[in-house]
Amino acid sequence: MKPCPKPNPIDRASIWTDLRESDATLTIFRWHAVTSWTWDAQDETCGICRKAFDGCCPDCKLPGDDCPLIWGACNHAFHLHCILKWVNSQTSQAHCPMCRRE
Amino acid sequence: MTSSSAPSRKALSKIACNRLQKELVEWQLNPPAGFKHKVTDNLQRWVIEVNGASGTLYTNETYQLQVDFPEHYPMEAPQVIFIPPAPLHPHIYSNGHICLDILYDSWSPAMTVSSICISILSMLSSSTAKQRPADNDRYVKNCRNGRSPKETRWWFHDDKV
Repeated sequence: MKPCPKPNPIDRASIWTDLRESDATLTIFRWHAVTSWTWDAQDETCGICRKAFDGCCPDCKLPGDDCPLIWGACNHAFHLHCILKWVNSQTSQAHCPMCRRE
Repeated sequence: MTSSSAPSRKALSKIACNRLQKELVEWQLNPPAGFKHKVTDNLQRWVIEVNGASGTLYTNETYQLQVDFPEHYPMEAPQVIFIPPAPLHPHIYSNGHICLDILYDSWSPAMTVSSICISILSMLSSSTAKQRPADNDRYVKNCRNGRSPKETRWWFHDDKV
């Protein structure tokens, strides 16, 4: 077996140097910006449904504004939909599922 | 007799199914010490073997826990009982019912089968006398029709054991 001949790598650095040293002007036709976001919670998963905060609760399809997180006074975070289900199922004052704070 | 008590047992909701599958995977990766999940194809009823911790009154004893999950788990607590013969313990009735607040009033959806198991083992380990609750006979007689412990109105008055 012979190794495949490697194609000549494009020397990107020298292209830029050539461009800078020439008087050429560059016109940018389009560019794509890509960003990512993440919830800034202490845990990675919701203590109620055990699904990732960067995902969504079991009732939702897409993470983000439609399935937000909510923080209690105790700073424990849950999917809003998950904690609402718990709070609404309690007849008396609901407590934080993690630390029992009201 | 009581072990099969499951009044109006509804199938698990999608959310409950999802969560239990996650718990099962987590259990397989990292089972609580002293417990063995007996594999079945029934996600809604887990049977778990408990080994008494060494250095306690229940060393070298093995018991079986039966955990039945309600439709809306984890918003509702599972029903947890010992399959008789149940360990002799001041908070465990001879029909297998367990007087432990987290299984009833103090349930929280952040708890898991694994955390329940640890609480039960801790309850066993801190026992200083192998005896039944004082009202065992009366209580067990009242449960004869297969009543679930979740229908009992429990009083939690002893936080030592």
